[in-house]
Amino acid sequence: MEIGVYWGCMILTSQYAYEMSLREVLPKFGISITDIDKASCCGAPIKNVNQKAAIYLAVRNLALAEKDGINELLVPCNGCYLSFSEALHYWKKDDTLKRELGSLLAEEGLEFNGNIKLWHTVNFLHDKIGTEKIKTAVKKPLNGFKFVTHPGCHILRPSTIVNVDDPEKPRKLDNLLKALGAESIDYPEKLDCCGGGLLLSHSESALTIAGLKLKAIKSLNVDGLVVSCPSCKIMLGAKQEAVGAIVGEKFEIPVLYYTQLLGLALEIEAEKLGLHLNQSPVDKIIEKLT
Amino acid sequence: MTVVDLMSEAKMNVELRSKAIEKGRYELYNCFQCMRCTSGCTSMKLLELKPHQIVTMVKLGLIDELITSGIIWTCAMCLKCTERCPQDAAPSDLITALRNLAFDMEANVPEAYLKVVSTVLEVGLIQEEQKVTSRDFEVYDREQLNLPKISKPDEIFKNNLLILLTPEED
Repeated sequence: MEIGVYWGCMILTSQYAYEMSLREVLPKFGISITDIDKASCCGAPIKNVNQKAAIYLAVRNLALAEKDGINELLVPCNGCYLSFSEALHYWKKDDTLKRELGSLLAEEGLEFNGNIKLWHTVNFLHDKIGTEKIKTAVKKPLNGFKFVTHPGCHILRPSTIVNVDDPEKPRKLDNLLKALGAESIDYPEKLDCCGGGLLLSHSESALTIAGLKLKAIKSLNVDGLVVSCPSCKIMLGAKQEAVGAIVGEKFEIPVLYYTQLLGLALEIEAEKLGLHLNQSPVDKIIEKLT
Repeated sequence: MTVVDLMSEAKMNVELRSKAIEKGRYELYNCFQCMRCTSGCTSMKLLELKPHQIVTMVKLGLIDELITSGIIWTCAMCLKCTERCPQDAAPSDLITALRNLAFDMEANVPEAYLKVVSTVLEVGLIQEEQKVTSRDFEVYDREQLNLPKISKPDEIFKNNLLILLTPEED
């Protein structure tokens, strides 16, 4: 089958490992990727200053996808996923908004019908491909590995708008880990935010919030932390040293995208999955696996 | 300055209150101060954000105080408050509406948020394509990682975005 993918700014401009690993793993399940031409920012960062402008950006991207004949769209970034879900939600129930934004879209020769199904990496792998299919595809099971998951805020809440997983008891990322043969440990801080949303206005507090989560994870002695959002990965992975300096701890926790771990279990080379780009010590996982 | 200090000297501004409410999408008046929002708030511990107080202040029409105080920019947008609110008062949506109002009125919007807006207007994305460094200190760009070129949006989209970002005349 074919699936459209809207990558979003973070993945396209810096979080290359997420893109690389998705481009590697999806074809293993017979899925080919269609990129969206001329896509822009999803609207999420604009929402803070003007919600209507944010919705315009979102529907513009969705209209571009529709124009390319895409009716199912994978949105791997949590922030973009919420932004698009919100835009769809309001587009469907607000006729004035539909008219106003519709005429702006028309200037670009675009039209949005609202007939697009959104997927995030987590529910696409869990519900569309399915854990059984993933289990069967695994060549190198991650037996003996223990991980914790961080689903991230914007694919869970508000559940009136997004429904990737249960908003208070998310299990899908954990089930996906189990399909690889690994164990997923539950922990009280699982739903805690990574702090990313505060980075622009209160960076020190943002890093402290990430630090409180990493402290909790450190005490669990797991093999790593599995994420599915580029912003969370930056906060909990790339910024680990800065976070440690703020909360007075040394962190050496491997943080990686689920798709990278899935790739390893499918025996795809680490470099093709962008594992050399992770700033956290993921070598520990690669070594333990070989 | 805490929210309580702000409340003691403030005056009700009904006009701004209806603007804030009009911009939001929530059942503000349903709030019965159960504080489920505040008890789960990510920013409560470090930045003393108390969403239930924000809701009360909007009800009281203390909008000028809210948008100039900077308190609305302490929200991490984890959206737990909105998820857990039993009354659909959606405090995080209300905070977003207040942020939008602050932008329209050019009132104390943190510089970094404005910078993001200008970058999106300029580039179409939140930043230009970055080179990344591996753990072995090798530098890579998209091409070296065998990733396709980024296809950027046309100018029309920027004009439309600019129109939407310009505050409406009263």
